[in-house]
Amino acid sequence: MKRFTGVMMVAALAAGLVAGCKPSTETAKSPEGAAKPKVVLGVSLLTMANPFFKDMADSMQQEAKKYGYEVIVTAGEMDPSRQKDQVGDFIVKKVNAIILAPCDSKSIGTSIQEANKAGIPVFTADIACLDKNAKVVTHVATDNYSGGKLAGEAMVKLLGGKGKVAIIDHPEVESVILRTKGFREVVSKSPGIQIVAQLPGGGARDVSFKTAQDILEKNPDLQGIFAINDPSALGAVAALEKAGRKGKVKVVGFDGQPEAKQAVKDGKIDADAIQFPDKIGVGVVDAVSRYLAGEKVPAQSLIPTALYTKAEADKDPKLAGGAPKA
Amino acid sequence: MSENARATLSRFVSAYGMLAVLVLLCVYFSWATYHEESATGPEAAQGVARVIVASGKRPSVVVVAPASDAGFGQDLAAALKQQGIPVVGTLQGGPPEVREGLEALSKSGRRIDMVAAPESCASWTVFDALRKQVSSLANLEVVTPTTQGRSAFLSPSNLRNVADQIAVIALMAVGMTLVIVTAGIDLSVGSLLALSAVVTAWFIHAWGGTSASTGAMLAASLIAIAMSGLVGGFSGLMITTFDIPPFIATLAMMQVASGLAFLVARGQSIYDLPDSFTWLGRGTGVAALPNAALLMVAVYIVAHLVMMRTTFGRHIYAVGGGPEAARLSGLRTKRLLMQVYLLSGVMAGVGGVVTASQLKAGAPTYGQSYELYVIAAVVVGGTSLSGGEGRILGTLIGAFTIAVIRNGMNLMNVEPYTQKVVLGLVILAAVLLDRMKRRWWR
Repeated sequence: MKRFTGVMMVAALAAGLVAGCKPSTETAKSPEGAAKPKVVLGVSLLTMANPFFKDMADSMQQEAKKYGYEVIVTAGEMDPSRQKDQVGDFIVKKVNAIILAPCDSKSIGTSIQEANKAGIPVFTADIACLDKNAKVVTHVATDNYSGGKLAGEAMVKLLGGKGKVAIIDHPEVESVILRTKGFREVVSKSPGIQIVAQLPGGGARDVSFKTAQDILEKNPDLQGIFAINDPSALGAVAALEKAGRKGKVKVVGFDGQPEAKQAVKDGKIDADAIQFPDKIGVGVVDAVSRYLAGEKVPAQSLIPTALYTKAEADKDPKLAGGAPKA
Repeated sequence: MSENARATLSRFVSAYGMLAVLVLLCVYFSWATYHEESATGPEAAQGVARVIVASGKRPSVVVVAPASDAGFGQDLAAALKQQGIPVVGTLQGGPPEVREGLEALSKSGRRIDMVAAPESCASWTVFDALRKQVSSLANLEVVTPTTQGRSAFLSPSNLRNVADQIAVIALMAVGMTLVIVTAGIDLSVGSLLALSAVVTAWFIHAWGGTSASTGAMLAASLIAIAMSGLVGGFSGLMITTFDIPPFIATLAMMQVASGLAFLVARGQSIYDLPDSFTWLGRGTGVAALPNAALLMVAVYIVAHLVMMRTTFGRHIYAVGGGPEAARLSGLRTKRLLMQVYLLSGVMAGVGGVVTASQLKAGAPTYGQSYELYVIAAVVVGGTSLSGGEGRILGTLIGAFTIAVIRNGMNLMNVEPYTQKVVLGLVILAAVLLDRMKRRWWR
């Protein structure tokens, strides 16, 4: 019977593994017995590999503690099917509210409809749902339009109101369209500034690097680049360094990722319109609590960005000492 | 125990040992997710009414129910009226609607002492807020049905949920089992799923979008499946004709298929599909099982019969067990291998159509790293990576094991990072089982 014992050993091992992972929270049994059940929030974000969403999740947890809510955090890790499964699990668990940062703005629609059917309110954070048949209580996100304006103001100031500017774009994404719209609106008010190029960089560092190279090649007198996110800005910086035009062309980024903040400190990026994932997290949990208290919640609430320049970077305790001005 | 019976038992155990693991897992999760939950239905509504009568008071009650629980709200109102308890009103909707309704009722001068509601509403803080803010509601009581034990894992809705979650991986794992039995591997299935989903959505979009006919949807799905089959067959051709190792050939096709998916979809998701397209992925058929799960069951029955009862099936085992011997005994091994990769592509294509239907959209980002889950399902199911042996039904067990672990851990609120570790270790344990089987017991 050695074979049988072997199989059982593995079976026990597998079962033990699963049993070993204790549920991370325990259901609260209040002493009064039939007291209020605990409010449970089910969260499924885009990915936990991106610090942006990690920060958001952490701040949700903290904010939820204030209200005594329990939070279950999961992430679709870019896979819309997996996110659908997670929402399915939340519905089975009968959570009181679901918070989503959709992996795909359209594919999430059917899952939200299922939650609607089960009577569970759905909230979105950072990424909106674009399926019109799905009901979302409120969407909490960065105010990308005014963020774009902020970036535009920074650019005008950096160039003293005149010069040639290029935009490294990623027009496939709704939020980026708003950013460039805000940027163009502000910049067009300064007649001295001319937008000479608006080319796609895929929102990625490598593609933006090549795009920036092309732009620099074509415009030897370029004075400013607005990159619609930090990876694009860092790609542009690399292109400037390679072309030996670092410092001659001002770079304005968008996001506030740690690496870009460091680049601001090192003088490689001149200004960054930074987002606040933590404020988005707090905002969405507050929206849930207001909704559960019966208040009317606006369909959208926007979190403003802030401008981050060398002055802010030098005071930022999170950044490494960095190279003293080269 | 007689030698014969022992041999039969050990054969059963080695073939379906994972079944024991799966059963253990199910038992464990059923126990771990057991909790008290308030009952619903007419019986529970009667219970609420009885509790109120037993209290000796005759409060005036407002019944509250979310739109999804409207039926229970009606039951509750009927039960209360039957017991002669005055029902001031019935409110439906989320907290804001309920607040508005209660405020309006209270303003109109009606006395409200109590709210009767299903448990899902009891956690709403709206009642606390009203107690504090509206003086006439300061003593508002909330009554919910009594609780009863329930295992979240074992609930019918969750079992359907698991079947729904596993369908796609399990479908693709059928093709992968054939490939792995021939001692090959197919890394392209995840990308083929994306390609198939995108192609399906693209054709439906082209043939009428949200108003596309059933025929158009069917044709689009078949084209997508055929296309995935062709790509799979092409991998097979590369493997057999040019002796490229399957790992390399399908790794290359994984890139090609993913790139094609992005090209077809222009990097976006295609989503203007008719509502009826979700029939396959979200509709339910016999015994309220999801159609996708029924399709999965049908495919497994067919595949099992093919592998066990047909010469084609036996030849696949023969090629996997010893390609040279199979060739020398007259099998057309190259053609057989090509067919196997073609079938794997077809199953990935079916997976893509089901995914597109479940999500009512096709996006090139679908299916990323699914090849790994599919291979894991096959391996956990007892099919040996060195080829020649493995069972279709074992693969089904493997797929379910992975789905149950994932679902169970989600229900138990296990952190996502921990989930990865556990899943990885389970796969390792399964491979260990496979190794032990061949080293010690032969």
